[in-house]
Amino acid sequence: MAAEGSRSVFRLNAVDRRGRKIEPAVLEAAEGIYSRALEHGLKLLGDPAVVTTALEEVAATVSRVIKGKDPPGDLAQVRDLRAYMFRAFLRHVNHLKRKELALVSLNEAGKMAEPPWAGALRELETKMLLDECLAQCDFIAQDMAWRRMQGFSWEEVGKIHGLSAHAAEARFSHALQQARERLKI
Amino acid sequence: MRNNKKRKEINEEEFFGFAKSYLSEAFPNPQRIDCPPDSELTRLAEHPREANPSVSQHLTCCSPCFNRYMEILADLKRRKTG
Repeated sequence: MAAEGSRSVFRLNAVDRRGRKIEPAVLEAAEGIYSRALEHGLKLLGDPAVVTTALEEVAATVSRVIKGKDPPGDLAQVRDLRAYMFRAFLRHVNHLKRKELALVSLNEAGKMAEPPWAGALRELETKMLLDECLAQCDFIAQDMAWRRMQGFSWEEVGKIHGLSAHAAEARFSHALQQARERLKI
Repeated sequence: MRNNKKRKEINEEEFFGFAKSYLSEAFPNPQRIDCPPDSELTRLAEHPREANPSVSQHLTCCSPCFNRYMEILADLKRRKTG
């Protein structure tokens, strides 16, 4: 659990609840995104303590990933640490929420034909799929997504990237399918 | 634990509809932390291959920039079709 610090920056612990150390640069990035992470995390998890613990866990995991890079601790390989941290946090929170909804579904299974959690679970899975897809796909697939959201046709999207409509659609579908496979949705 | 019944897969229209609605509200960022200038968003819309990829990444977690980018794209689409 975190400790209260100055008014502008919330202080997190330098170790997570499992005792894993958080590197100073990662800790600083985690504290920098804390207010936004808390705001978003509360919508899904509802408890500031759970959200803070989740952020510390993500920071510890990111610290280990960075330590494992060659050369160890090379931050230059992470282009924007705060953005990287925030996306990792989103995915972790999604994962926690999915587990929670799965438990509800087990408890409620068989009680009704159209249980109320079904819609919530489907919405969460769509959100997870979107977060995973946007976090992992390449720049071009991401750009295709922005344009499709604004109603561009595949033909228009393909033209911008020097591809046919079919090739553009196939490229994005592949990125989405990869995200589905990673999440097992 | 997953549901044993196979759920209907979300189609593309639903996916992009959900994405636009979710990204437009989920990340308020009132202090506009790490936001790029408007010119970078315009460059991303008009010349994506020359744009900084980190601007596109930023849109995944900032609703004000996402909404502004959607406006720029809508304007670009109008100009191209008009």
